[in-house]
Amino acid sequence: MKKNEEIKNGEPFYPNHVLKEVIIVLLILGLLIALATFIPAPMESKADPFSTPEHIKPEWYFLAGYQLLKLAEKLDFLGAWAPKMIGVLGQGVIIAIIFFLPFIDRGSERYPHKRPIATTLGILGVISFIVLTIWGHYS
Amino acid sequence: MGKEQKELKKRDIEKRTLFRELFDIFSLTGFLYGPLDERLKFRDALEKQLKKTTPHYRFFIERNFLACLGGITFILFLIQVATGVLLLMYYRPTIAEAYESIVEITNNVQFGWLVRGMHHWAANVMIITVILHMTRVFFVGAFRPPRDFNWLTGMTLLLLTFTFGFSGYLLPWSQISYWATTVGTDSIAAVPFIGETLRYFVRGGPQVSQLALTRFFALHVVILPGVAFLCLVLHFLMIRRQGISEPL
Repeated sequence: MKKNEEIKNGEPFYPNHVLKEVIIVLLILGLLIALATFIPAPMESKADPFSTPEHIKPEWYFLAGYQLLKLAEKLDFLGAWAPKMIGVLGQGVIIAIIFFLPFIDRGSERYPHKRPIATTLGILGVISFIVLTIWGHYS
Repeated sequence: MGKEQKELKKRDIEKRTLFRELFDIFSLTGFLYGPLDERLKFRDALEKQLKKTTPHYRFFIERNFLACLGGITFILFLIQVATGVLLLMYYRPTIAEAYESIVEITNNVQFGWLVRGMHHWAANVMIITVILHMTRVFFVGAFRPPRDFNWLTGMTLLLLTFTFGFSGYLLPWSQISYWATTVGTDSIAAVPFIGETLRYFVRGGPQVSQLALTRFFALHVVILPGVAFLCLVLHFLMIRRQGISEPL
């Protein structure tokens, strides 16, 4: 298909898109095999319920939440109940807001620069997730 | 009736002999393009699917990477199913033997290290791609109605991916998986009123032990894949029905 036509009508699924898809599948398989070969999956020692390790950290994708729970510990002036409950429920609220986003942000504008509040909040969210993850890793 | 049509009809009658029918059924292509296609018309359906177009994105990175993130996540999901089934053949879900079976998979089983490594890495890459996919959909506003319900199935799939990661982490029954799960399930107790009960329910007891391992195992290999499959079907059906959102 000619280039201009392609831009107007879209790329044909077969063969253009299928070819791209096959290339991507092969690249992913290559990446995974390379990773599995050069950085093998970690092999820790067997679980021992009687010896607690010094630093217990979750997988990297839970580190942001972990760090938020740690930060919530600073709220203990509100009472002994506060840190954990605010930490856990706060994260629940954040997840719920993201979950029901289309029903909270009900506009019809799609361009990111035409909905500055949502875009700013989104960028702040991404940055804080990354910062909290790195902070959680080193804390 | 023209001569040509007569010829065609004659050929049709010739075609449907017993030998021809049997040959069609037992040769796979003959069956696929013969009797089965006559009844289900799947060749038309396939052609219709192949002729569909995907939107043209203006930017190279969007065309070749950002717009593919959902698809890449799905491919990784399929890799997880395949490697997961292979691991399942050798894994033993008891606290006495789980760790030993993982060591055996890594050291003794042919290509066990590779399958386990791929399962481990595909899980991590999948978390990244599913988050990036959500972030992209947010920034280009692709979640606007009528695709708002697809955002819900997508978010469910994202949470399922995280639950997959959390439950799979316990299965090797290593020191880090045991204690990370202990601390992780401890935070459930902070939920008001039902927290303690919920933690007991997740663990199957006061501590992380055999019942917890069994529960996480069942969750990881039966319940979550089933729910995820259902959500994937809904996710893709809605995309088919509503089309891919217009590129900005």
